[in-house]
Amino acid sequence: MTSFMNRHADSSVMGSLRACLRAATSSSPVATWGLLMILLAVIALLSLLFGAGDVGPGRAWQALSDFDAAAMHDSEAHFVIGELRLPRLGIGLVVGIALGIAGALLQAVTRNPLAEPGLLGVSAGSAFAVTLAILWGADAATLRISVAQLGALGGCLCVLAAARLQGIGNDPVRLILAGAILSGLLHSLSSLILLFDQYTADEIRFWVVGSLAGRDAADLMPLAPSLALAALLTVILARPLAALALGEHVAIGLGHHPRMVRLLVIVVVALLVGGATAIAGPVAFVGLVVPFAARALAGPDIRRTLWFCLPLGPIVVVSADIVSRLVVPPSELPLGVITALIGAPVLIAVVRRRRLPML
Amino acid sequence: MSNTLSTASRPTQPGMTSCSRTQTPSQARTGKLFLTLPLGQRLPLRFVVDKRNLIVNLSLMGLLLLLTGGSLAIGSAATLSASATFEALLGQGSALDNFVVRELRLPRVVAGIVTGSAFALAGCLMQTVARNRLATPGIVGLDNGATAFAVASVIGTGISLAPPAMALTGAAVAAALTFGLTGSIGVRGYRFLVAGIGVGAVFGAITQLMLTRVSIDAANAAYPWTVGSLNARPAHAVSILSLALLPALLAAIRLTRSLTVMRLSDAVATSLGVSTSRCRLMALSVAVILTGLAVAVAGPVGMVALIGPEFARQISARNTVPVVGATLAGAIVMLAADLLGRVILAPIEVPVGIITALTGSPLLLWILLNPHTRTTP
Repeated sequence: MTSFMNRHADSSVMGSLRACLRAATSSSPVATWGLLMILLAVIALLSLLFGAGDVGPGRAWQALSDFDAAAMHDSEAHFVIGELRLPRLGIGLVVGIALGIAGALLQAVTRNPLAEPGLLGVSAGSAFAVTLAILWGADAATLRISVAQLGALGGCLCVLAAARLQGIGNDPVRLILAGAILSGLLHSLSSLILLFDQYTADEIRFWVVGSLAGRDAADLMPLAPSLALAALLTVILARPLAALALGEHVAIGLGHHPRMVRLLVIVVVALLVGGATAIAGPVAFVGLVVPFAARALAGPDIRRTLWFCLPLGPIVVVSADIVSRLVVPPSELPLGVITALIGAPVLIAVVRRRRLPML
Repeated sequence: MSNTLSTASRPTQPGMTSCSRTQTPSQARTGKLFLTLPLGQRLPLRFVVDKRNLIVNLSLMGLLLLLTGGSLAIGSAATLSASATFEALLGQGSALDNFVVRELRLPRVVAGIVTGSAFALAGCLMQTVARNRLATPGIVGLDNGATAFAVASVIGTGISLAPPAMALTGAAVAAALTFGLTGSIGVRGYRFLVAGIGVGAVFGAITQLMLTRVSIDAANAAYPWTVGSLNARPAHAVSILSLALLPALLAAIRLTRSLTVMRLSDAVATSLGVSTSRCRLMALSVAVILTGLAVAVAGPVGMVALIGPEFARQISARNTVPVVGATLAGAIVMLAADLLGRVILAPIEVPVGIITALTGSPLLLWILLNPHTRTTP
């Protein structure tokens, strides 16, 4: 009897697993998307449960299950979850969404599967601008965000304009190289500025590595307007972008303005990447990995890709953040290190393909 | 008939004893010189030397000497006159001058010369092998690999290997990774470089990972390896690099003719009797060894590997691989950048890696974006 029960339980578990797998690989994107959302929820819960400090998963679970009571009898867990892990999770969600969507948009508009904000000089531009701003005495969070966004716009426009003027826009790999070189140049300029000024160096040292640790959730509030604007523009631009994927002439025939669309998309990318960089510092390769995975799941349509970036971005960022907390328990790793370790192999894998898929 | 041919092809006459130069009209047109060492007829040791390259290399050497003198004389502590510098160099100046010149500046200048030469020679060889002006060891990830391993040996408790050996291993691993991973797509195109950037990013992340894991003291000890600086470099690493540099340069000179032919195409090179794969492997190993050992001295100053050969190529004869010129030019670039970094913001010292990155990156962009430049060296 028990064995039958066991087998029954077994088969039901296996059945549900199989159903999950089938749903994940089936042609129904809605089911896949739902599964990703569930996965994101699980990862978010895990990020509340696990940490580098004393509050282990068991204690955190107890405190979570009765959060108000925990304020009385386990104030430490209450504080750690409410004041440290929850804001961190929130920032991770925002950064993940922003970087994932920005990567997808940038890849669509440059028609380049390698276009990544970190590689194209967008992150480096905003990091450089923030360094300059801190040097000149700006430390208000709002100012830092707008400066970072302006810097991101500048970096992106520099690379794209240079590529366009010189007619290498058609060669995805050369564009990436140009961006990488510009990033290196801006990086060494930032280091030069930091040499000048020890105070700025101190202030920026923790920011420039790219991490979710020790960021203030209050920083999210000034970001809200620009993120809302970016979201609105993304919704408006999704259709023209999908038309642009068919070619410029088709897009014009359908009543869109390709040049206008491109410019607006770059503005959106700058808003998103600048905002994310202002909060978390430069985090590399998320904008490459997330759209890569999203396209693999959703197919070539940019609208679907964007939908899939919505859960995938936070999944990547938040799980990388969990890993960064757990690898060396008393201390933490910078988030950018983890994402680089994940992202660089993806970059190599894409480059290795005999034919680069043109978007 | 055969007699006249043999005398024409052998320009040395029996009566000549010292290092002799003889020109026939056809050689004057092609700009070639035949240098013969006075070892007698039994052992004819002759070099074919391009006249323009000879002049270029001699003037580069003069420039290097001048810069060496300048680097010894100029600095934030005291700027000495030429005669005072010379006296201090011989140990006959005042005690302070002696100390500044002999103990502080001389090791630094020596380190600058050997690392600059090593980086530039490695860059020249790798550019020629990959047939791409942008393919320097720094871009292909060798610098980062060597840095990661050197940092591991500095901060690691279990690993007691010296930084030079570890840096060498790191450079070799990075080279193997980049060349292995791009096996099917070849080393010719830009994709090779992007794959190299990916490999470099992995090693860069590993370096950061190690730096965040250790105590602040160990991290500070490893810091110079991450920015690229000539300040207070370990003496034994410098001497190891100096020992490796001479055989590497000789090997590179020996490879020059094969590499020059290989610039045309593999088919031409093979039909002319060059073993292309062996030549490529040798050039690459020399590049890896030089880069690894140089990173162990000065950290990742990879842009020298771009600027030095580029500079040498601009002034050398068109149809050769400027091995010696690139070596000299690399030393010059390194010394000049270091001198600039020491004086430009006088109390603060700008690491040489930042100076070379600031000058090298625009050059790199210009090569990449200029549609009229050839990408092959």
